Amino acid sequence: MLAEVILSALLLLVTYWFIVTRRLRSAVSAYSVQSWLLGFISILLYLDTGLIELLLFGLLIVAVKGILIPQLLRRRVAFALVAGRETAYYVRFPTALLIGAGLSLLGLLAGSRVPYHLQLLPESVLGISLAVFLLGLFTTIARRDAIMQVTGLLAAENGLLLLSLVVAPRLSLLIEIAIVMDVLIAVLVMGFLVARMRDELAGTDTSELSRLRG
Amino acid sequence: MIDQVLLAAVLAAPLLGAIASLAGRSDRVRYVLVLPICLVTLSLALTLIARVLANGPVSGFGNWLYLDDLDAVVLLVVVVVSTMSGAYSIAYFRSDAQGHVLRPGELRKYFGLFHLFTLTMVLATVSGNLILLWTGVTATTFAAAPLVDFYGSHEPLEAAWKFLVLAVAGELIALLGFLLLYESGIGSLGSSYNFSIPIMEQAGPHLEASLGAIGFLMVLVGFGAKAGLAPMHTWLPDAHSQAPAPVCAMLSGAELNCAMLAIVRVLSLVTPANRAGAVGLHEALLAFGLLSMVVGVVFLISQRNFKRLLAYSSVEQMGVIAAGFGIGAPVAALGALLQMITHSLAKSLMFFNSGNLLLRFRTTTIAEVRQVIRIAPASAILIIAGALAIAGAPPFGLFVSEFTIIRGALINHAWAVAGGMAAILLVAFLALMEPFNRMVFGEGKEMSSHPRSELGFLVLAPGYILLAAVLVLGLWIPGPLHSLLVGASQVVQR
Repeated sequence: MLAEVILSALLLLVTYWFIVTRRLRSAVSAYSVQSWLLGFISILLYLDTGLIELLLFGLLIVAVKGILIPQLLRRRVAFALVAGRETAYYVRFPTALLIGAGLSLLGLLAGSRVPYHLQLLPESVLGISLAVFLLGLFTTIARRDAIMQVTGLLAAENGLLLLSLVVAPRLSLLIEIAIVMDVLIAVLVMGFLVARMRDELAGTDTSELSRLRG
Repeated sequence: MIDQVLLAAVLAAPLLGAIASLAGRSDRVRYVLVLPICLVTLSLALTLIARVLANGPVSGFGNWLYLDDLDAVVLLVVVVVSTMSGAYSIAYFRSDAQGHVLRPGELRKYFGLFHLFTLTMVLATVSGNLILLWTGVTATTFAAAPLVDFYGSHEPLEAAWKFLVLAVAGELIALLGFLLLYESGIGSLGSSYNFSIPIMEQAGPHLEASLGAIGFLMVLVGFGAKAGLAPMHTWLPDAHSQAPAPVCAMLSGAELNCAMLAIVRVLSLVTPANRAGAVGLHEALLAFGLLSMVVGVVFLISQRNFKRLLAYSSVEQMGVIAAGFGIGAPVAALGALLQMITHSLAKSLMFFNSGNLLLRFRTTTIAEVRQVIRIAPASAILIIAGALAIAGAPPFGLFVSEFTIIRGALINHAWAVAGGMAAILLVAFLALMEPFNRMVFGEGKEMSSHPRSELGFLVLAPGYILLAAVLVLGLWIPGPLHSLLVGASQVVQR
């Protein structure tokens, strides 16, 4: 169980990278690493328990979220880089760091308060998953770049999948597949709109999307 | 067995429509296919609803698919609105050809996504597994967002992006809620159980109250964004002002109700366990509802764009529905269910009207449209009657449903809620009627250059059908519909 907890802690550390990074490419890589870690946790749980679903789930995460989705995102990043300004925040950078620290603390604290049934992973991982979820959502809200917003949502979703390994490791594999496929389609649709931004905005800075009012 | 086939077929019909529209060689195929596909889906759905009325809930595939009275009300709304929108889409795009020159492939995208949009909404209503319910409601966004971006310039892109990001963020919060709901059942159902509506209903009072309550609040906030509840409603006016009119009708008339269905479903599942607990779940829904009503009305006043006006009216109306479920009286829940139906009919009608105005006047600015009664009398009658219907004037259906909700509040001795709702609805009535009245009857000099010219029969027909339906529901509720509504209100108020 210790190995899984260490991997979860690493997963949270990687999530901080979304807050501090100045490069889109490294944010996408961070997402990829995060997904690999999540996949490994599931596979390790399979080794502990022998539940074949966990192995398949881990492989699915690595294939879709570790390899396929980062590849799709990198293709979009290629033109976003030209525009620059990719790292911009709606809030000041030190403020973003402080909020990020506060949110992860909040997640960890909330995790210790949830009345849950011990299954395969301990309570600490529950807190970590909530912290990852909150940090991901915060990245989406605070970042101005469209691709950063997408990676933020994806990071939040990884937090939820980690949570599902804590609270419902025996949830049917079909359900997990439904969630992962849902995210894949979300990325495809977002990728389509990001490609449209290239034509309309010559970049991916969503702060330029501010014409609609009232 | 037959139920299983029907449940699969009602999903297969729009899926086939999507495949055929995407694969079809010419736009003629796509035009010709829309109505048959919609009508097949409609009749399959009606058959299913009739079976629910006769024998109670139907389920199939190990509870992956499930339809009870509550689902059936929303399924009815979805298939009726989708059929009308399909019919209107044909007429709209044929007439629109003068204003917006369709690029090659645009209709392929439109009708492909149109059928997928219907499919996802039907999936949300017939799903039995709660994660499948989440998937269905979530997937509606992925079909709808590219449709919002249909006209493909800066503003539609902005609207679609805001919609997509806010909706996906909300969906993730809702997923957290569903996972907590699953956790709430582990104590009584074991660590690996069938996470479906009937199983959770049976477990009812044995679910863990606090986890269920947190789960519901997460679903309320997360899917509240999709249901247009304030303060998560900000995507709604933008998306409705940019999407093509038939898509607006689907968004407001059907999609918002699917998200509301998920919220109410989870509320009905966690309420039995929460009886002893003191967490005010209904009160939370009521608070979001009242806030949405206030926010919607504030933005109705002095609105300059009639599509945004209708969008804020949807925020207000979804607030009425949320409040109706939140009051916690069976009568109010019955009213809220009826309101789902009447609002969908009337709001689809009004969005068709907005499309008609756009076709005729090439603008969505209220100040640039005057004298519709002289220029296009048949459209003008539809606009004024539709505005009266959506504003809740008797004898239209919304008057009955809103009145029923307020009666429910009075029965529960919630005097302030009843009084407040009545006051807000009165202000909303004035704020809605005034601009449409000005557009239809108001004097405008520059309008004298507009020659009198009516829109085609096919453009107007879907609107007149909807008007007839919402008028009939104000005067008389057919027996089967009444028993469906009663059955659904019993599901809500278990």
